[in-house]
Amino acid sequence: MAQYRRLGGILAITLATTTGLTACGFGGTTSDEGTDGGSTTLDLLVPSYSDATQGQWNDVIAGFEEANPDIKVNLQVESWDNLESVIATKIQGGEAPDIYNGGPFAGFAEDELLYPVEDVTSDETYADFQPTFLENAQVDGTTYGLPFIASARALFVNDALLEEAGAEVPATWDELLESAKKVSELGGGVAGYGMPLGSEEAQAEAAVWLWGGGGSFGDSEAITIDTPENLAGAEYIKTMIDEGATQADAGATDRSPLFDIFVQGKIGMQVGLPPSVGQIESDNPDLEYSIHPIPTKDGEPFTLGVADHLMAFQNDGDKQEAITAFFDYFYTADVYVPWVQAEGFLPTTVSGSEALSGEEALAPFLEVLPDAQFYPTTNPDWAATDSAFKALFGQLDGDKSAKDVLAEIQDQVDAG
Amino acid sequence: MTAITDSGTTPKKATRPPSDSRQRVRKYTADQVPLGSLLLRMFAGLVVLVVFLLPYLIMFFGSVKTKAEIRSVDPTYFPTEWHWENYATMWATPETPLLQNLISTLVISLCATLLVLAVALPAAYYTARFRFSGRLVFLFLVIVTQMVQPAVLTSGLFRQFIALGLLDTWAAMILVNAAFNLSFAVWIMHSFFASIPKEVDEAAQIDGAGTFTVLTKINLPLVWPGIVTAVVFTFVASWNEFAASLVLLTTAGNQPLSVALTKFVGQYETSWHYVFGVSIVAIVPVVLLFMMIEKRLVGGLVAGSVK
Amino acid sequence: MKDLLKALPWIGPAVALIAAVVLFPVGLMFWNSTRDISQSGVDDGGVGLANFATVVGFQYFWPILGRTVVWVVVVVGCTLIGSLALAALLNKAFPGRRLVRMAVIVPWAASVVMTTLVVHYGLEPYFGIINSFLVDVGLISTPEGYGWTRHPGTAFAWAMVVAVFVSLPFTTYTILAGLQTVPGETVEAARIDGAGGLRTYFSVVLPQLRGAVSVAVLINIINVFNSLPILRVMTGSIPGYDADTIMTMIFKYMQNQRQIDLASALSVIAFLVVIAIVAVYVRVVRPLEEV
Repeated sequence: MAQYRRLGGILAITLATTTGLTACGFGGTTSDEGTDGGSTTLDLLVPSYSDATQGQWNDVIAGFEEANPDIKVNLQVESWDNLESVIATKIQGGEAPDIYNGGPFAGFAEDELLYPVEDVTSDETYADFQPTFLENAQVDGTTYGLPFIASARALFVNDALLEEAGAEVPATWDELLESAKKVSELGGGVAGYGMPLGSEEAQAEAAVWLWGGGGSFGDSEAITIDTPENLAGAEYIKTMIDEGATQADAGATDRSPLFDIFVQGKIGMQVGLPPSVGQIESDNPDLEYSIHPIPTKDGEPFTLGVADHLMAFQNDGDKQEAITAFFDYFYTADVYVPWVQAEGFLPTTVSGSEALSGEEALAPFLEVLPDAQFYPTTNPDWAATDSAFKALFGQLDGDKSAKDVLAEIQDQVDAG
Repeated sequence: MTAITDSGTTPKKATRPPSDSRQRVRKYTADQVPLGSLLLRMFAGLVVLVVFLLPYLIMFFGSVKTKAEIRSVDPTYFPTEWHWENYATMWATPETPLLQNLISTLVISLCATLLVLAVALPAAYYTARFRFSGRLVFLFLVIVTQMVQPAVLTSGLFRQFIALGLLDTWAAMILVNAAFNLSFAVWIMHSFFASIPKEVDEAAQIDGAGTFTVLTKINLPLVWPGIVTAVVFTFVASWNEFAASLVLLTTAGNQPLSVALTKFVGQYETSWHYVFGVSIVAIVPVVLLFMMIEKRLVGGLVAGSVK
Repeated sequence: MKDLLKALPWIGPAVALIAAVVLFPVGLMFWNSTRDISQSGVDDGGVGLANFATVVGFQYFWPILGRTVVWVVVVVGCTLIGSLALAALLNKAFPGRRLVRMAVIVPWAASVVMTTLVVHYGLEPYFGIINSFLVDVGLISTPEGYGWTRHPGTAFAWAMVVAVFVSLPFTTYTILAGLQTVPGETVEAARIDGAGGLRTYFSVVLPQLRGAVSVAVLINIINVFNSLPILRVMTGSIPGYDADTIMTMIFKYMQNQRQIDLASALSVIAFLVVIAIVAVYVRVVRPLEEV
């Protein structure tokens, strides 16, 4: 700043500003829009699953652009936290990406923003998707989301802690309560069951309990949260908390930090998913653990299945071919399988499942996948339901009754 | 006459020579402070130092720990091993081109600050010195722009910059940062201009100086502390701006550090050591800027108030 | 009108910049607050004031509004008192003062989000070293620490601590800069008249600081009112609405429920609330009247 004073006053500042602005103001690169000179540009907006995501996509795009020299792909990676605000802003501004990777898609389909999947994939690619996943991506009989990657949940058990506490691996809720209490009694900051009802992923733990007691969140027509079937699971969550079977402050504990604690051997049992295996492998390979089906009210096996989707926005008629080319390229087993493998998830295509059937780490999840139940993502109100669970379900850890909490969630869904 | 302040800069041209009868006045300068009171100040200073640096020490120690040690259930105050290489490896992570992010942040913040100065300084001076119809309206209009939650404005900004063809350019964020920090800069500098007695101007005008000369030659030297405060305020706010940058800048290399940081947050795991490391790196330029102009801030009047 | 024309070259650029950048987004916010906008951002037509009715009719609206006022008053009040004390200290000569001044600038230089994240991390059970410290000195008996950020009361209190912490540097430096403009002769004169240190401060120094302090407080009121990241991080995992202010509620409407129309309506309300607060403040304190 010293030179400004030497030159004396505002004139110098104004001068510096003008030159400064011309020098730097227009230095950023503007992305090309649409087609020019016979080449098509595809905008791709994706979330970051892990450290590897950006690199994975770079590889896919490099390979695709080599095979299709007339198509350019612009990649934008955002964190999950920011993804939804970015996509909402882009849509409001009329600048939706051509291809988007996200969770709920029914709202976009309802607003007629998406291509039907059959219009942007070849018949072979479309036929390769596993039917259960396709069904779960349909609104009124039309598929709008390309099943991308899937996960299933299972109970991760710290064998060393259970043995020390003299507890058995549970199959029912009552057994879980008993085992978890025994482990909690070990003391020293050890918790029996890791119960994450915090905002990060409350809907997942809710599904684990509510559906495990015979309930459901509804279907593509109606969202039903405040039901007697769901109440059983919600009340058992309160029992678990009240009897000290869980970690402290279950209502405001997020899933990821809690699993970090499981990995370090301070939690007896917690529900995890395929990437959890990789996390233990890298952070604490010495952990003595095993993977089991999620305990339910009556011991019937069940799991929560989650599929993320790719979707194609209708921006510009002549991009349809380029989008089709991209999806057909991406879903070939040579490209798709390494992607899924690197992130540690489950594939959604028939060819992908065959290629990965020998993976030992995925075996416990592939085993329970046939019993999987999915969120009602094809209901346009699912996004509202999801946020209502995140915002309100944790109140089970508190003075509110289970019935009131479910009613409040139902109210918020109905209002949204 | 030179103002005798207690700023630690020993007044060189004190008009009152030290003498016994002025003992109480002389007590103000550093060399004559009673030892007890000096120790008390040092102790208070030490407490302030520790409190203000503590979060950033946690951040710094975290940045040289391993990813696993940061999330250890048996937390360590100090790193068990010092992983200085984190500071080298973070520049080459696949998530984001950090060096480009740093350059973007620098360019955007510097240009926005210069633009604010160029626009706000004349406005602040004129509104403080001259009464005109619409003066209060102007000052209120300016401050009202600051009262809206920026997160709600992002979608409007996005549409606007598409229309202007400036989406994903530094120019867009320079304009946004300048416009949203303008009001505070105007108000801060206004209050400093206003605190200078009008007679100073009038004397100069009688000597035949024009408005512009009065501003540059007479007023500017007197309000340096205010200008510096406004500069730091604008620079820091631009440096850390997040909500608009997130939606207006889409290419990874154009994004500022504040957005780049979030790229280390994965769905199920976060590279905390890099988040902390990048945060430390992001603090350094601002502290350097401040060190450069700190003397101006606290020493300004001592040097400038010679009437 | 003629004097306005004369002022134009001086204030024109500022008006132009604001008009070019701020006008449209603010206008759009008002417009959106009267529309029905789908979750993916498609405008489904006008609904008059229905969004406002929904927002105000929300069962937690009034507690949230009350908490917002508490948030602003406590944070700005503590910041002002803390800053006056800090500025007074930093204006005194002592060895190492330059270092302390540098330290005070750091929370300003650091991004608010990062400062909050570090404090949040320190307060976590199991991982946090603040918790670990409290366990080590015996203040907490559970070995994994206490869930400070998992109870509405403690999380809100810690959020206020962080908010004061990050507001201190700017306010302190504005006051410090203001102290430089207090003519030494005035202080001397008071001293010679026999006034003690404290009395000199309150009767001579403080009135001279009025310009700087009143603007700093005004800026703080607006900034603290609009502050989102601190509360979002510190209270983000708490279920229900017992730790929300208007700003976090806007965020919940916008980000979690994706109801841009309701978020805009609440933003308009927030805008009116802060204008009211500022209007009262300007009436009482008159920051523009000191010449």
